[in-house]
Amino acid sequence: MTRKQKRLSIIAGALAVLGCATALTFVALGQKTSYFYMPADITTANIQPGERIRLGGLVEKGSVVRGQGTRVTFAVTDAADSVHVTYDGILPDLFREEQGVVTEGVFGDDGTFVADSVLAKHDETYMPKDVADRLKEQGVWQE
Amino acid sequence: MVEAGHFALVLAFVLALVQASLPLIGARIGDARLMAAGNSAALAGFLMTAIAFAVLTAAYVQSDFSLLNVFENSHSQKPLLYKFTGTWGNHEGSMLLWVLILTGFGALVALFGRNLPATLRANVLAVQGMIGAAFFLFILLTSNPFARLDPAPIEGQDLNPILQDVGLAIHPPLLYLGYVGFSICFSFAIAALIEGRIDAAWARWVRPWTLMAWIFLTGGIAMGSFWAYYELGWGGFWFWDPVENASFMPWLAGTALLHSAIVMEKRSALKIWTILLSILTFSLSLLGTFLVRSGVLTSVHAFATDPTRGVFILTILTVFVGGALALFAWRAQALAPGGLFQPISREGALVLNNLFLSTATATVFVGTLYPLLLEALTGDKISVGAPFFEATFGPLMVPLLIAVPFGPLLAWKRGDLWAAAQRLVFAFAGALLVTLVVALFIDRASVFAALGLGLGVWLVLGALTDLAMKAGLGKVGFAAARRRLAGLPRAAFGTALAHLGLGLTTLGVISVMSLETEHIITMKPGETTDVAGYELRFDGLQPHQGANYTEDRGVFALMADDGRTITQIVSSKRLYTARQMPTTEAGIATRGLSQLYVSLGDPTDDGGVVVRIWWKPFVTLIWIGSIVMMAGGTLSLSDRRLRVGAPSPRKTAVTPVPAE
Amino acid sequence: MLLWLTIAFLTAAASLAVLLPLASRRGELAGATEHDLEVYKDQLAELERDAARGLIGGEEAEQAKAEIGRRILRIAGGTQAVDGVQGARRTRVIAAAAVLAVPLLSWGLYAVLGSPDLADQPLQARMSKDPSDSTADELVRRAEEHLRANPSDGRGWDVLAPIYLRMNRPAESVTAYRNAMRLLGATARRESGLGEALVADAGGVVTAEAAEAFERALQHDRADPKSRFFLASAMAQEGRLDEAADAWRRLARDMPQDSPWQGVVAAALEQAGEMTAAQDETMPGPTREDIEAASDLDVEGRAEMIEGMVARLDARLRENPADLEGWQRLVRSYLVLGRKDDALAALERGIAALGAEGGDAAETLRNFAAQQGLQAD
Repeated sequence: MTRKQKRLSIIAGALAVLGCATALTFVALGQKTSYFYMPADITTANIQPGERIRLGGLVEKGSVVRGQGTRVTFAVTDAADSVHVTYDGILPDLFREEQGVVTEGVFGDDGTFVADSVLAKHDETYMPKDVADRLKEQGVWQE
Repeated sequence: MVEAGHFALVLAFVLALVQASLPLIGARIGDARLMAAGNSAALAGFLMTAIAFAVLTAAYVQSDFSLLNVFENSHSQKPLLYKFTGTWGNHEGSMLLWVLILTGFGALVALFGRNLPATLRANVLAVQGMIGAAFFLFILLTSNPFARLDPAPIEGQDLNPILQDVGLAIHPPLLYLGYVGFSICFSFAIAALIEGRIDAAWARWVRPWTLMAWIFLTGGIAMGSFWAYYELGWGGFWFWDPVENASFMPWLAGTALLHSAIVMEKRSALKIWTILLSILTFSLSLLGTFLVRSGVLTSVHAFATDPTRGVFILTILTVFVGGALALFAWRAQALAPGGLFQPISREGALVLNNLFLSTATATVFVGTLYPLLLEALTGDKISVGAPFFEATFGPLMVPLLIAVPFGPLLAWKRGDLWAAAQRLVFAFAGALLVTLVVALFIDRASVFAALGLGLGVWLVLGALTDLAMKAGLGKVGFAAARRRLAGLPRAAFGTALAHLGLGLTTLGVISVMSLETEHIITMKPGETTDVAGYELRFDGLQPHQGANYTEDRGVFALMADDGRTITQIVSSKRLYTARQMPTTEAGIATRGLSQLYVSLGDPTDDGGVVVRIWWKPFVTLIWIGSIVMMAGGTLSLSDRRLRVGAPSPRKTAVTPVPAE
Repeated sequence: MLLWLTIAFLTAAASLAVLLPLASRRGELAGATEHDLEVYKDQLAELERDAARGLIGGEEAEQAKAEIGRRILRIAGGTQAVDGVQGARRTRVIAAAAVLAVPLLSWGLYAVLGSPDLADQPLQARMSKDPSDSTADELVRRAEEHLRANPSDGRGWDVLAPIYLRMNRPAESVTAYRNAMRLLGATARRESGLGEALVADAGGVVTAEAAEAFERALQHDRADPKSRFFLASAMAQEGRLDEAADAWRRLARDMPQDSPWQGVVAAALEQAGEMTAAQDETMPGPTREDIEAASDLDVEGRAEMIEGMVARLDARLRENPADLEGWQRLVRSYLVLGRKDDALAALERGIAALGAEGGDAAETLRNFAAQQGLQAD
């Protein structure tokens, strides 16, 4: 191979890898990211059952029901609307009524939100950044 | 002597200014005295920073609440160790640690750079001085740890309990040693661009620094991941959280730099690319500092409402990255092009490594910054989490990991892929065997687990093959091979160890991701449950009083099949009284390389307690692998040849074959 | 003094670090190539040492030596000289500027940033100095240390309890009162103090727990004015304004004219009267101010503080008006302070702001105000 050919083959290889990576990134940005919603957004947003979303708001007062074993249901509210959530697992340390919470999961067929992760407001090391100001924006919680 | 510490910090800033200007001018006009002033300014600057840091530490240890910083982050009842580590457990203190390490590295260059060309050393010190001056100014104007309170409060507000952990004592300093270590590579790159001259001695100098920064960064990231694993009570070891990504990006770029520096050192090729990588790696370190320190991660809005700190660091970031890239664009052509090589060769393999690592860095970069950008531009909020990175970063890693064992087996300049593949036949057979065994005999194993574990084994065996081939095993007798193995340069062992460690970490990650079991149950005292062939008995909750917290300890007995108690697991829920903040302390039992992880939930009405139990097979390999990688780096660093500014003793380097 | 000496010493050290290499005569004009040559010689020496110790193989050492030799040959070509005189003069100017800059810049910057007149205050030293020099905080802290070591010292708890309350640490005051009573037995003063601390802890509301404490105090001393005052406040809170006023009047009659409670009771009565007239029975009785006034704090200071808090709330709502709860608090605060015009203005602003946001928040606020006896136009 000549010098030029060598260089071209390396550049072509590099472009192929970059192209694949770019394609991967775009596909992943489209499919693997989850949008963040508040209960009030749920009715207007067209969310398919099975689509992963994050749902944030405050835990509605008096709505927490600890069922058999580890199953918990509660409602997430933003003063305008509220959504019923079921969760099977251990709630975070700072999960309280009327405290900020972010849940991630999918809507079931009956309209309840089945969460597979629940994060509480003060889990400082693991609080998704997008949530706090969104809650603040809506005046749901004040520091 | 608090104020003396404050003054020392101011002096350190002024000395950084001197260090940034005199040697630069000296190198320009060829004046040895001006250049020498850079050395002593660097040493004195480090001394002053060390005094300031020591004073702040003393204030923490003595609970001097007349310092705002101590008042906000300490408490008189805190255990002494955490008073000590609290010094850098907050924004101001951590920035002071940052500049302490920066000036420390500057001082090392000043001390041990005697066999560097004088102008190169002067320019390197000047660039270090500029970075230092910028950060000293940032500290003094926006994050001064020596701000005072008068009258002094009588009690502090305590350190965030999550941060009260031995992990904190080690994690940030290691991480900073890594971040800031890359500043030396950056300074060397800028100095080379200023001089318009770059030779193999340059790479000889840059490689040990890169290696050292990389070792520390590897340790810092592994430590941080281990800390999150046992402290947060979630059992996760990596969350693809922006803060983690901020340290991961320089690591990826630094790993690429490490490899391209080898090519540059041994073969004088990839010079311009290596310079660019040096700049990019430290830029990513700066970006990490910006992301973590500006508050932009908690909220773009918070950043906009209190912009002083964020804008300051952003300015530093823009000036240094922008300036460096502009200089690169302007001067890079002046550097002599490097040697030639065939695509299939050691160099080619290293280029492949660089290609995949930098592409992977780019995907992490996009995943980390895209949500911030999107929010700033449109206000839409998305969360980019593990699924995104698993879909982009993962596929990029697979070809890279497959290629890793080939690299060291290829010859410089022109390699024989087929010969390398033949040598790797044992590694391939081993990997295939593991894949089949996992796929056929282990329950619940998916194709992913089988292939992933096979890949891990491939890496481990590939690294061992590398050593065996270098020792000539198979060609010479066993005894001779052993002698040859002992005579191998340490760098060869370093490479093999680092690749071995990578394989171990891969094994750990894949095995936890695909084979871990988790169950959540309610347990009453005396009840037992089966976990991965063991029996776990809950013995009840015991209240306990700690130094600055109260806790309920859940005591569990881990029993073998025959009912024999193997060990006790204590998992607790703590309440830190000063901040009224609850935390979960996981209980972990190590069995071989695997771990049983018990996390305590809320008590139920009927006297039981919710318990979350994970069986994490081979989880410890994740961190053992990191330690092995660090050991490989250290071994390579200790190789004498690295420190002698002499060329490679390879035969091919002496009698080069002309390229076709 | 010691501080200034240290600062002078540090400045001198830093200046010397810059000055010494500039003043030295060594290697005045070492050209770049000369230095390179030195480096290569250095490398050769190092190589030989390593070879002698067996750290590097003989063949490798030879190759390395050859390469270094080649480099030495390469640089031997061009050595350029620098104009000595001009270079020296330039150096002198730059050196002088740098040496001057160190003390000038650092002292100037420190003058802006530092607080040289503030001494260190390590906790241990603050605890062990002469008590007469100590601040109230420090004295309390010492008492705490003492009580941590001797938790069964009832007198200590007894002394500390009212001080806590005065320092606005009601929860700790409650604990201290309870400890004092456990160790020394209940008295009217301790029970009523406990009640007061509980009220303060509940943000000015006489809780059932507090009321019980006051009742117990009255069992010890029928005339205890604090307990009688707060029990009357409790009635007012429940909306029984007439009964509360009666109780306060009886209290005023039973107390000597120079009692500090007379003023407090009179103020409470006046407000109760106003409320009865203005709003029928919707407004809960005594306000925070009564309670704050009741504890013998600086009344004016307190009022100022409350005004300040309200002003801040007002300002915050101007910036961030989408906050229903905030508007409710503001309207109510103005009413409690007796500033009805301001309350009305705030209500109208709130309705306008919330109305713009959409939803029924504006209506909620209107209804809330109506309950407080306030009608927006």
